[in-house]
Amino acid sequence: MSSYIIKRLIYAVIIAWGILTITFILLRVGPSSPVDRYILNIASRGQDVESVKQAIESKYGLNKPIYEQYFDYMGNLLQGKWGWSFSSSQPVLDLIGSHWIYSFQLILLATILAILFGVGLGMLAAVKRNTKIDYAISIFSFIGISLPGFWLGLMLILVFAVQLGMFKTFYDTSYPILSLQNLRQLILPVLTLAIGELAGYVRYTRSAMLDNLRKEFVTTARAKGLPERTVIGKHVLSNAVLPLVTIIMFDLGSVVFGGAYLTEIVFGIPGLGQVSFNAIFSNDYAVVIAVTLIGTFLVLFINLATDIIYTYLDPRIRYD
Amino acid sequence: MPSKNRINIFALLMTAVLVLTGMAGCAAAPTTQTAPATAVAPVTKGDFIEGDIAGGEAETLNWILAGDASSFGYVGYTLESLISYDNHFNIVLRCLAKDIEVSPDGLVYTITIRPDLKWSDGSQVTSEDYVYTMKNLMFSDWLNYIYKDDWREEVDGKNVFVTPQVADATTFTVTRQTVQPEFIYTLYGLIPYPKYIAVKYEGNVDAFTQAKEFNDLSYTGNLGPYKFKEWLKNDKFVVEKNPDYFLGKENGGAPFFQDYIVKLFGTSAVMQSALEAGDITYCGIEPQNVAKYKSNDKLNVYTVPTTGYGLIAYNERANGWEGLRDKQVRQAISMAIDKDTIVKKIYLGFAEPAYSFIPSSSPWYSDDTVLKLGIAPLNSKDKAMEMLKAAGYQYQTDSGKNILIGKDGKPVKLTLVTSSQGSDTIESLSLLIKQELAAIGIEVEVKWIQWPTLLRQYMMNKVPGSSKEPGYNNGPDAVSENAWDLTLMGHNTDPMAPSGSRVFYASDGGLNSFGFFNSDVDALFKKIRSKDGLNKDDRAKMYGELARLISEEQPVDFITYGRGNRGFQKNVKGIEPGINMGYNYFLWRFE
Repeated sequence: MSSYIIKRLIYAVIIAWGILTITFILLRVGPSSPVDRYILNIASRGQDVESVKQAIESKYGLNKPIYEQYFDYMGNLLQGKWGWSFSSSQPVLDLIGSHWIYSFQLILLATILAILFGVGLGMLAAVKRNTKIDYAISIFSFIGISLPGFWLGLMLILVFAVQLGMFKTFYDTSYPILSLQNLRQLILPVLTLAIGELAGYVRYTRSAMLDNLRKEFVTTARAKGLPERTVIGKHVLSNAVLPLVTIIMFDLGSVVFGGAYLTEIVFGIPGLGQVSFNAIFSNDYAVVIAVTLIGTFLVLFINLATDIIYTYLDPRIRYD
Repeated sequence: MPSKNRINIFALLMTAVLVLTGMAGCAAAPTTQTAPATAVAPVTKGDFIEGDIAGGEAETLNWILAGDASSFGYVGYTLESLISYDNHFNIVLRCLAKDIEVSPDGLVYTITIRPDLKWSDGSQVTSEDYVYTMKNLMFSDWLNYIYKDDWREEVDGKNVFVTPQVADATTFTVTRQTVQPEFIYTLYGLIPYPKYIAVKYEGNVDAFTQAKEFNDLSYTGNLGPYKFKEWLKNDKFVVEKNPDYFLGKENGGAPFFQDYIVKLFGTSAVMQSALEAGDITYCGIEPQNVAKYKSNDKLNVYTVPTTGYGLIAYNERANGWEGLRDKQVRQAISMAIDKDTIVKKIYLGFAEPAYSFIPSSSPWYSDDTVLKLGIAPLNSKDKAMEMLKAAGYQYQTDSGKNILIGKDGKPVKLTLVTSSQGSDTIESLSLLIKQELAAIGIEVEVKWIQWPTLLRQYMMNKVPGSSKEPGYNNGPDAVSENAWDLTLMGHNTDPMAPSGSRVFYASDGGLNSFGFFNSDVDALFKKIRSKDGLNKDDRAKMYGELARLISEEQPVDFITYGRGNRGFQKNVKGIEPGINMGYNYFLWRFE
């Protein structure tokens, strides 16, 4: 197992290096440049566009050949220097260090909520198959899957913040992360992010549970007189959970890259999604590369974690 | 902050760039700001929260390194420039003790600052700080100050810097070798770095860039109504009341907010909802929401003029339709596009028709000289078609539709390129123009293009076969990589120094990407920016003539000047609505 993990980690580094290189080249050869955001401002002041462009490119080392910029960047990266964010005037690591927590708390809480309620409701729907409870849960999950997160966030703000005044319309960073006020103001963003995932888990869990409920070992367990709780919890759920883990871990990757970012935009949460957004539009190369790299490692880590979890959930799986 | 006179960004910015006016005044004698007399003295209470869109986030508080307007805006809360301007463009003194004196020959500017300006260590801000900032920082080679061209002049074919010189502790001079009457507006925006700190980093750009004192504004002493408190990038910028503010005592202890917070939002919908819910104090309101917010009894919405205008540029270069090189054709097209409809249907009434690069709010605007194309009686499809016929074009009729036939015998089809960036307004405007021109037999293909692509493939140009890098104006023979005929743009004008627009309309203008070349226009721009323009009456006549000439030549169809809508909580008092309504923001208060 440990040799498998080491091998995967080596692959992860190689993949990350490949993605970094591709990102680096794409950013440099693309039509955008950090100079774009100034150029018309500068020119409109009657200044020579070309000379100012050269000054800015020289300031950020963008006038060097791409390969030279690349080796400079890699050299610095290997020394732990992620570069200078010229759109926010601070080291890239400082920028990420002050923002990651806002994304992390949102994703963590939304994922916990989605798993707990998604799996729970899915189990309930399966056990109460073809009853009013099952129908109600199914309708809820269909609606949840269909609602665009962006729209849902806006609606929650309009109803609960503007009309009912129960929450603030935006995320307030004045509150300490570990405080009740912070937890309270995360309710709407977490709901926004979690509902789509939760609804999906309900469907997957129900379906996986129903598959297993029809299996012979369940009939045998019931015939042996085991309590229904044990049948469901020990025999059905433990067999249904394996495909669920794959789906949940896969979703986690897409939440990091998609859903959380949109939720941050709607609620004004200054997480890595906002940082990436601004960096992309400012052509802040160092930040874009850093965020891409972090995302890459996260996805690779999630995949590795999924594989490891498999071995615990299904003892038949061995990587050695 | 709405039109607050932050540090000067005298410019004509393209659309999507925040309009931060730094406009100078000349009509009335300069005044110092004093709080209006009230029955009860204002008290400091509450936090003012301004909503802004995240795309406008500032880059740095180390302002000399900044290229964006937001950075200057943030710094402006803690550091006053020499003057500010009221809603009528009258000068209101800030760090100046009296208005700048200009020598009769227009070459020497004498600047006298207040004696009570202090750095954070208690030392006096002196003229030496200002001169040092110019000579050793702004004009230096090592620091790459982006706007250094504002401080250069052409002498004997060479670009040289103006000469700052210390006269005494509070007086310094700036001497030019050539006359440029509008240089005074550049001077008005000057702010200093503390020499005693800056010398430690001089010559080392990395050290200067990362200098703690400059990045946390801890040096600003009593120079602004607020002191820096916190900046969480992409979230909020917070400044707190500066009890030592040099204008505080004479203004009843201003400012009157404990904290002033700029909160960034990802979407304008949420930002406006935050205003409605009372979570923020102020933000801009989109035209479609104005009626709703005006009827909200907790809010005040002020509609104010702006200096930004929309236009359609005609490509007169070789890869544009040949008809666009004919003034009569350009006039005909502009005549066919109804500006009243644009104002009503696209801007919902929150705009006014434009006829010139000089806004009607400018003292240099002359209403009687400009050609008002696009407004009755000069808005007529029939007359436009007559003009096109007079220009040598013919019409064919197909299924009852008139089709304009080009000189090559084929129907005229024009390409309109623009960067909509998801803006409904730009998209609607493009389609309206298409519809208007269809009515005079011209088919228009609209292409919405990403901004960087629009710049590089359509606006930048080069002479075919030349090894010179593409630029925004590489002379009359240059053409862009891709052909185009019309483009929708947004420009901004400094109402007090509109001659900055020469970059668009002069033959050597750095942004004359549409290829308009007219020697009379060039001569007038030059004259305004020479000793001929020293006399204001003469300058006004020159501006009138220039506006007439450009409106007749129609290198662009000036469409509309926008009006901004500013929403405030009703309990904010002291606001004077107008084009520069933020000029007295340090006197605003909650009641």
